[in-house]
Amino acid sequence: MPPTQNLRLTKFGQYGIYLAFLILCIVLAFSTPRFFTVSNLLIIGTQVSINALLAFGVTFVIITGGIDLSLGSMVAVTGVVAATFAHPDTYPLAVPLLAGLGAGLLFGAFNGLVITKSKVPPFIVTLGTMTIGRGLALILSKGRPISNLSDSFNFIGGGNIFGIPFPIIILIVAFIVCAVILNKTVLGRYMYAVGGNEPAARASGIRVGNVKMWVYTICGILSAMGGILLTARITTGQPNAGAGFELDAIAAAIIGGTSTSGGTGTMTGTLIGALLIGVISNSLDLLNVTSYYQQVVMGVIIIGAVVLDGFGKKD
Amino acid sequence: MKNAIFGTLIATALLSGCNQTSEKGSGDGEKLVVGATMLSMQNEFIVNVSDEMEAKAKELDVDLITVDAERSALKQVEQVESFIAQGVDAIIMNPCEVEASSPAVKLAMAANIPIINVNSETSAKPTAFVGSDDTESARIAMKYLAEKLGGKGNILIMHGFMGQAAQLKRDNGAKEILKANPGLKLLAEQTGEWDRAKGMSLTENWIQSYGSKINAIFAHNDEMGMGAVKALEAAGLKNKVIVVSVDAIPDALQAVKKGTLDATIFQNAKEQGSKAIETAVKAAKKEAFDKEVLIPFQLVTKENVGEFLK
Repeated sequence: MPPTQNLRLTKFGQYGIYLAFLILCIVLAFSTPRFFTVSNLLIIGTQVSINALLAFGVTFVIITGGIDLSLGSMVAVTGVVAATFAHPDTYPLAVPLLAGLGAGLLFGAFNGLVITKSKVPPFIVTLGTMTIGRGLALILSKGRPISNLSDSFNFIGGGNIFGIPFPIIILIVAFIVCAVILNKTVLGRYMYAVGGNEPAARASGIRVGNVKMWVYTICGILSAMGGILLTARITTGQPNAGAGFELDAIAAAIIGGTSTSGGTGTMTGTLIGALLIGVISNSLDLLNVTSYYQQVVMGVIIIGAVVLDGFGKKD
Repeated sequence: MKNAIFGTLIATALLSGCNQTSEKGSGDGEKLVVGATMLSMQNEFIVNVSDEMEAKAKELDVDLITVDAERSALKQVEQVESFIAQGVDAIIMNPCEVEASSPAVKLAMAANIPIINVNSETSAKPTAFVGSDDTESARIAMKYLAEKLGGKGNILIMHGFMGQAAQLKRDNGAKEILKANPGLKLLAEQTGEWDRAKGMSLTENWIQSYGSKINAIFAHNDEMGMGAVKALEAAGLKNKVIVVSVDAIPDALQAVKKGTLDATIFQNAKEQGSKAIETAVKAAKKEAFDKEVLIPFQLVTKENVGEFLK
């Protein structure tokens, strides 16, 4: 299937989710004066950043027709690895960052390698590496949080540049890079091709295995960025951090119009999906909705958004 | 072929690295064997209890087999069943759930093996209970807040995972003190699911809602309390808001020392661990023992934090 056709299709279907997001924001702006303030919007941006990074990663994976359930565990492993090297007056800042990113790269590459070589479905492989990763995080940290991290490291999660929280800057840069990879590179076009019709992609000479290696590795690196960001934000490397993150990330991608059957999806859609989840959870707190109801409301709004998105596609 | 060899090597390396308990099986017949099933070895507090049990068992020359229930009551019941099948002399259980872990107690009692609950309770009555009363921890924390605020002010409460025994009990204790102090107003309460990042996000959102109206935050555990402190610091509100949480984890003690966290409530993991083993051994030897060993909580503030820092 030619990738251009996919692109046109998704662009068309995207209106629904934008509309849903817009409506939600307008409703919230009227229901609580606290919502539409600069400080609250910056907080939403910060709170969304980690999930958005993971969602970008898994968007690549889902576009190729795969899935990655090990995101949350990768967040824990990479966070613990980075924290191990981030104590004050030990190593320069580059060491914990490169160690964390390196761990994510290796983990992601391992996912990709097993998936391409073993032909076991990605769901099963990453279900396995999800538990392996959780175990590794516990082994590396001996089951205890790693605290006492340097100020320069913590700046990544809590610092500001010209009043803009650093996590938001990372989010924006990551978004641009991911969008460029997906839309402007050969690799990006191959991803759509592999997800759209794998045998056809193979027949047309695309090295499907290589493309898959790339997406899982990129996903690992983005998870590591999420892991480092989380660790710096809560100023501890926690082996049990990130549990369940994969579901939020996958939800953001799917809300944003990425099809689980592969071949379609955009980074902008995923970003909106992540923002939608972030805005909902922020506003439910602002409106002081009881914890029990929060979960119900969250589910209803997510389904509602996707339904609205579906209407957009039919037009 | 290469893959198979490589895989076997890795597997062997992994297995030899993690068998903390396997050498225990071949001991001489006279040594007492105690089986312990713990709620979750991913929880720092539980790991501390378990470490102390290990140390005490060594001191008393007892074989201790520790297994992790990974928060699953079903798994826990199965683990107790296998302890019974192995014919251990006593069982220590750190229950996952009040109701769902109860069958394990009944099974052990039916098999005439003493079972000691440590840290939290089950609805079925065990041979003995060693732990602390969670309600009390919240009472101490809220009393401290009330005192600090002179009985008047706006309070936010951050709950643990909704429906768990510790959350319910800490909630009961907190509400008791709220009732006794009509000047304290509960602005909002919400769950932070025991998690630091969630606690931080929740506090950020609360700051957007209530800003300078907030006088104090009570968090059901230190992880969330530390998250609240982070958010308040970032908003420049920390010196105006009192934060108290429960558990006295090392991070929280450091924060109390620095003055960022106002107080934490010390739950004595060491005492719980060592008393659990002592009680189990006494029960196994059919010596006299206390049916309920309650280890008191202690309020930790800047004044006395030195005693708790190792």
